[in-house]
Amino acid sequence: MEEQKKLIVDGRRLDGRAPDELRPIRIEAGVLKRADGSAYIEMGSNKVLAAVYGPREMHPRHEQEPDTAVLRCRYNMAPFSVDERKRPGPDRRSVEISKVTREALEPVLFLEMYPRSVIDVFIEVLEADAGTRTAGINAASVALANAGIPMRDLVSAVAVGKVDDVIVLDLTKEEDQNGQTDMPVAIIPKKKLITLLQMDGSFTEDEFKQALDLAFKGCERIYELQRAALREKYALKEG
Amino acid sequence: MIHVQDRSLVVPGELLAEGDYRTGGGVYRDGKSVYSAVVGLASVGEREIRVVPLEGPYIPARGDSVIGIVVDIHYSGWTLDINSPYTGNLFISDFLHRKVDLTRDGPERYLRLGDVVLASVKDVDEKMRVLLETEGPRSGRITGGRMVEIAPVKIPRVLGKKGSMLDTLKRISGCRLIVGQNGRIVIHGEDQRAVDAVINAILKIEREAHTTGLTDRVRFLLEKEIGGR
Repeated sequence: MEEQKKLIVDGRRLDGRAPDELRPIRIEAGVLKRADGSAYIEMGSNKVLAAVYGPREMHPRHEQEPDTAVLRCRYNMAPFSVDERKRPGPDRRSVEISKVTREALEPVLFLEMYPRSVIDVFIEVLEADAGTRTAGINAASVALANAGIPMRDLVSAVAVGKVDDVIVLDLTKEEDQNGQTDMPVAIIPKKKLITLLQMDGSFTEDEFKQALDLAFKGCERIYELQRAALREKYALKEG
Repeated sequence: MIHVQDRSLVVPGELLAEGDYRTGGGVYRDGKSVYSAVVGLASVGEREIRVVPLEGPYIPARGDSVIGIVVDIHYSGWTLDINSPYTGNLFISDFLHRKVDLTRDGPERYLRLGDVVLASVKDVDEKMRVLLETEGPRSGRITGGRMVEIAPVKIPRVLGKKGSMLDTLKRISGCRLIVGQNGRIVIHGEDQRAVDAVINAILKIEREAHTTGLTDRVRFLLEKEIGGR
């Protein structure tokens, strides 16, 4: 087992990043013509598309809520998104991610404005390289804003972790698989509230605090990029 | 304290102002602070702050006039698709403006599936159940003409300030236009070229709703397309 290679050399990671550095991020809003709202995000080599439909009439009718809209999320990985072909369709992992994504986005939405309706969010992972759930949440929150759905704030998400005993931001697949800890975090940047926090591995209390701090810093930067993407989409509409 | 300029682009969560301001649509309040809830243009009035949305569905409000399509007929009336998350309900008595003896008369005599109706929103309850009626000079079944659907948030631009854009469209083309607040517009005209030109103009308005001097460009477009016959 001791043939594991070093993931951090001279304070630099395998892809040359510093521990507190994000991968290059590109976000584009309103990429799908037929969706009410959409967004495309690249975080490193992650490529994720999010589409929002609604608010629209809820079918099946018995799932309607008389006083509020319902948020439905579907996280899905394309079969070609990973090295070994993924069997298509929902599996235990994607069902869980769909659930936590919904719970990460729900707190910012004014769902009570649209009783009896449903807002559908579809997150399609086209290429995966660790951190797809956070990429999906980032894209979905831009897509929701693009759909004109009233929200308190955007949601920004990033993963932090521990690799070779160093706390790092935005893990790659290699770091995720060979590192010690992976912790995706989603926040509401304005209010500094956490809407998603999962952890695989272990931290000491100090490490956890340090990691969470780093996650907040990463999210702030992503938040700016999300806002920039929305402004870019509507830039012409100014003036 | 106001933090944004009038007509500037804002995104959800953006701080607009702090203090006792009256608020309109598209914003929310958290303590003393007023934030934007949608992507839109901030509108900072005398003492009211709101955000004019750039996207979003049509949400029915009492008094709106809408163009609906009959999607269902039931015992005492019709269900209308009103290009919204919610369907509208039109009772036969609100359509005929008189008491109707349902044992002798039924809704199928008056409107069929697929019929297009100009109606006004009589009431919307807290569960967003929409009650329609056919009130006003031109309401009721719409026959003939061509219908276009645009984003409901762009309808105010088609009307223009005090209806100036709508007047331009009507005057130059000689067509009659029925505009529903829910994003549907029906155009009646003798001359098909004029109708085509109006549709092109409406689609142009939808695309360029954010720009200034649009009325002049629309006038130019209409004159070019109709004048060249």
